[in-house]
Amino acid sequence: MLAFVVRRIIGLVVVLFAITVLVFLIFFSTPGIDPSARLAGRNPSPATVAAVKHEFGLDRPLPVRYALMMKRLFISRDLVSYGNQALLVVPAIWAAAPVTFSLVIGAAVLWFVMSILLGLIAVTFKGTVADPIIMILALIGISMPVFWLGEVVNLITQDRLHDTFLFSWVPPLGYTPLTEDPWQWFLHLIFPWITLSILYIGFYARVLRADLLENESADYVRTARAKGLSPKRVLLKHMLRNSLITFVSLAGLDLGVLIGGGALLTEVVFGLPGVGRLTYNALLSLDLPVIMATVIYGAFFITIMSAVIDIVYARLDPRIRPT
Amino acid sequence: MAEFAYEPEPELRLAPGESIREISGRSPWAIAGRRLVRNRIAMAALALFVVIVVLSFLAPVYAHHIAHTDPFVSNLSGTTEVDGKQVEVIQQGGAGLGLGETPIGPTWHANYFLGADQQGRDVMARLFYGGRASLIVGVGSAVICSLAALLLALIAGFFRGWSDTVLSRIMDLIWAFPVYLLAISLSTVLLTTPGGVKLGPITLNASSLWTPTLIIALIYIPYVFRPVRGQVLSVREKEYVEAGVSQGASSLRLMISEILPNVVSTVIVLLPLMIATTVLTEAALSFLSIGVQPPNASWGTIIGDGQELLYTRPWVAIAPGIMIVLTVLSLNVLGDGVRDALDPRAKVRVRE
Amino acid sequence: MKRWYVGFSFALLGLALVAAGCGGGGSNKNSTTTAASSGGAKGGILETVAAAAPSGSPDPQVNYTLQEWQWLIFTHDGLIAFKRTGGSEGTKKVPDLVTSIPKPTNDGKTWTFTLRKGIKFSNGETLTGADVKATFERLFKIGNSPNAGTWYNVIEGADACIKTPKTCTLNKGVVVNGNKVTFNLTTADPEWLDKLAVPFAFILPKDTPDTNVNIPPPGTGPYKWVQYSPTKQMKVVRNTFFKEWSKDAQPAGNPDEIVQKFGLQPEAQVTAVEQNQADWMFDQPPADRLGELSTKYADRVHVNPLTAVWYFAFNTRIPPFNNLKARQGVNYATDRNALVKIYGGPKLAVPTCQILPPNFPGYVAYCPYTKNPGSGKWTAPDLQKAKQLIEQSGTKGASVKVNTTTNTVDKNLGLYFVGLLKSLGYKATLQALSPDIQYPYAQNSNNKPQFAYSSWYQDYPAASDFLNILLGCGSFHPGSNSSPNIAEFCNQNLQAKMDQAGATGITDPAAANKLWASVDKGVTDQAPWVSMFNPKYIDVLSSRVKGYQFSPQWYFLLAQASVK
Repeated sequence: MLAFVVRRIIGLVVVLFAITVLVFLIFFSTPGIDPSARLAGRNPSPATVAAVKHEFGLDRPLPVRYALMMKRLFISRDLVSYGNQALLVVPAIWAAAPVTFSLVIGAAVLWFVMSILLGLIAVTFKGTVADPIIMILALIGISMPVFWLGEVVNLITQDRLHDTFLFSWVPPLGYTPLTEDPWQWFLHLIFPWITLSILYIGFYARVLRADLLENESADYVRTARAKGLSPKRVLLKHMLRNSLITFVSLAGLDLGVLIGGGALLTEVVFGLPGVGRLTYNALLSLDLPVIMATVIYGAFFITIMSAVIDIVYARLDPRIRPT
Repeated sequence: MAEFAYEPEPELRLAPGESIREISGRSPWAIAGRRLVRNRIAMAALALFVVIVVLSFLAPVYAHHIAHTDPFVSNLSGTTEVDGKQVEVIQQGGAGLGLGETPIGPTWHANYFLGADQQGRDVMARLFYGGRASLIVGVGSAVICSLAALLLALIAGFFRGWSDTVLSRIMDLIWAFPVYLLAISLSTVLLTTPGGVKLGPITLNASSLWTPTLIIALIYIPYVFRPVRGQVLSVREKEYVEAGVSQGASSLRLMISEILPNVVSTVIVLLPLMIATTVLTEAALSFLSIGVQPPNASWGTIIGDGQELLYTRPWVAIAPGIMIVLTVLSLNVLGDGVRDALDPRAKVRVRE
Repeated sequence: MKRWYVGFSFALLGLALVAAGCGGGGSNKNSTTTAASSGGAKGGILETVAAAAPSGSPDPQVNYTLQEWQWLIFTHDGLIAFKRTGGSEGTKKVPDLVTSIPKPTNDGKTWTFTLRKGIKFSNGETLTGADVKATFERLFKIGNSPNAGTWYNVIEGADACIKTPKTCTLNKGVVVNGNKVTFNLTTADPEWLDKLAVPFAFILPKDTPDTNVNIPPPGTGPYKWVQYSPTKQMKVVRNTFFKEWSKDAQPAGNPDEIVQKFGLQPEAQVTAVEQNQADWMFDQPPADRLGELSTKYADRVHVNPLTAVWYFAFNTRIPPFNNLKARQGVNYATDRNALVKIYGGPKLAVPTCQILPPNFPGYVAYCPYTKNPGSGKWTAPDLQKAKQLIEQSGTKGASVKVNTTTNTVDKNLGLYFVGLLKSLGYKATLQALSPDIQYPYAQNSNNKPQFAYSSWYQDYPAASDFLNILLGCGSFHPGSNSSPNIAEFCNQNLQAKMDQAGATGITDPAAANKLWASVDKGVTDQAPWVSMFNPKYIDVLSSRVKGYQFSPQWYFLLAQASVK
């Protein structure tokens, strides 16, 4: 186990290093990218541009620039955005992370509950028409582009049906911190949660259903039934637990991606100031410091979750050894 | 990384409702084909997908003969006939302060069936052309991705050791790499390199569909690589492979004759699902203006166009979204059917 | 993405004569001056929203965005100010921190001002001449003030400061004697007073550090900065040390606090303001909300013309547009009505063929690129003449990249031109870049842009601000990302005229304006651009905001509105 952890940590560091180097190289080889003119304000004189270039270390060789940026990011933590010099990158990410967590964890709770429910129902009513209907609905859910769904949801709740009793309670787009006003926090997040979870409910309902069906013919199930336990008890107490292995391992990976900023389009469409949106704005304005920080943040979570899931999976299913 | 192994049993399992008589004596592919054809839902999905493809490729016919329009030319000052009257395609706001210009909405007739966009172009005609681009990019990138991943997985899984480690870590890297950054950067490089970038016979420039195709293909290689590699590993351990090795057969021959056939089914199962994923990704990238570039239109770019019209002319954004849903849905259902056909109890797990 | 980039390139306005006034349609026929807000109830919080924080550094001597300038005017003061009122009165210069506007001596090279007594910064310190001198030295010391080297280099000693900023002293250029401050310039400068009236020259306490600050330092205005958080909001509250000394230059504000929250996209901003959850939105409303704003919320919407121009610049040095006939042909073929439609209709933009915007010093209406020219107004494209000229130019069939940004309107303008150029026989393609990249990209001659989108919102009311900065020989820096003369235009005759007009302006502004008008005409004839239109600005307010005024300099005067 220890060897595994050490190996994965080394792997994480290597991956992070490689990604940051790649990001750096890609950035500086994109034409028109030289940030000095942008940083120097509008229509600066050539002297000003040169001065800014020097101040930001942009006239040094690439490896030096890289080292400087990493130092500012990790050690002195005073890395400043190219877009706004009052924006300190690290605190910005700290401030944005709770928003992303709120969005993702809330959506995850919703999707876990709904997909388990739907999976169980589909299995219980297998053979009837309910099964394929649920599965088709689930498939529709995962076939929608999330940004499109979000726009349509916004159109309905903010504009078309906003004045009706159905949606008049929907607050304008944006985010209220939990510590400031829990009720508003909740209201602002309801539709983002629903939109984001629709994408995953379908997939996970099917995963669970497939596993449940597979376990149906397992020995322990037959034993339990022979013992006279009710089907419901068999289903919920015995089968579900074993069938959740795959579910949990996949969900962990997806959660890692989402927390790492993968919900960026959802955040943008609903106006939530999370890490995803920070990434999106930084990409569009080619703000390297912020991009670097969000990339590291994202890669970190993805890799960590991936390692955690490997451990969990190994624990749950002794046939698998983590590598 | 824990290996999600695909374990087809060498003996064929019976699908529900099948009898031994029906499958005895037939080759595994024939059996699979038969099962697939019998699956009515999957066949319906396939039919839907084929219809969408055909319609998309009939885009020039629609534009020319039915709508009588060129959906790639701005028509800001044009007029069209609605209910017998000539109206401007883009109309100035009339009431109140008179601010803004609004394109006409759906006429539900041959001209401007779904209305016009901000350039005065026929949305329905663009929808068809958009389908063409989205499908070309989607199918193209899925196929390229699968082939590349197959090749790499064969190498990694068969030779193991050093090549496996290096390839697996590269895959990890690609997987953790921010997709959008890669796409933005590549798009910018290609947009600003005069004449485009040449890769052998292909020229990548702004208006080429190869650009988003190759970007998306690259991004998803790890996705296909992992299950296929697991499959290669598991097949490699089988006795007949070891027998082949002891008989002195060359690696290449073994790869092609023994491992490849057993692994191809994994790829085939993944293919419809890959296309579904790539179509969705292309929509997202084009929506952000870093996928398909003007003058080409794709469903994603049309949704992007429709964003600024969402409150007044929602159809411009809604229609392409519906097309995407139908296409991806049909591919997902078909993918289910293919998987059931190839092995009714296969344990392959596919991640979206 | 969003129109914040417009904010980045916004600046002061000049002599706009016509302010459409409250609730009016944007008619240019009558000039209505909005009533100055006299008093109005004090108190309350003015809540505003914006998509993002002002870009660049928040340091008042560096920031070059309208978004922040709109605020700096009520937190800081310069020696001179543009009158804080709406309409054409808002372009007049009045004394602010000084008692009166003097006449320069020594052939216009020496300006002696008398500072008012008893003005305090928001930290309690009293303003003295030493603060003035320190402020101007800091302009050079901080190293990245955009216009230190181009505007304020007329101060004696500035050249040495530009060379060695850290040890900058302006002992000769800014002489302090008690409460008298004397500026010694190296040459007479007709724009000196304007330069004193912009935020770069707003006076800061002498102990302000020499490096970019993260929040504007204490100032002498009626409000002081308490928060500047680029991901959240910026906020000012009342400066308790402020006593109004001149209503014209720096009136005491009405709200107790002014806040601007960041992060809402324009669509959401419109919804918030409509529902009175915010009082005003900084960004322009998206096109699909204009209809409902025009009808349901017409009484809360104000439209005002801007002295600004949107254009596409030809590259006059490389084919095919190094050929004059080709450039003129494209100009004749352009349907400016279609372009106005893309921007949002004739109520929001007015077609133009020339460089200077209407109601600007030196502006004389001139449009040769229309059917039946002569009236000075554009009416319709002349396709026949266009095709003729392009035939004669021999450039047909050339490949052209139309360079623009990925913002919706800019992209649509670019798409229009791609279609137009194709119909004229060129092989045109679109090159849409992210706004942050497109501007430096288009300026850099190494990228060989052929036909690039840009816009210009002027700094202060002087024709040179358009003609010299955008089309002067000295504004073209080959191979640099900062070369505002995107057209790479340099015509020696016209440049000589520009220099002459600049020199004449010191003594005879009227004659200078006539010269500028003829420069405008001459440049327009050379067609370095396709000038598209002059845009207007939309302000959307909540129902509780009273006392709206639109100044041609600072646009919506936030502090003078009231929310009670």
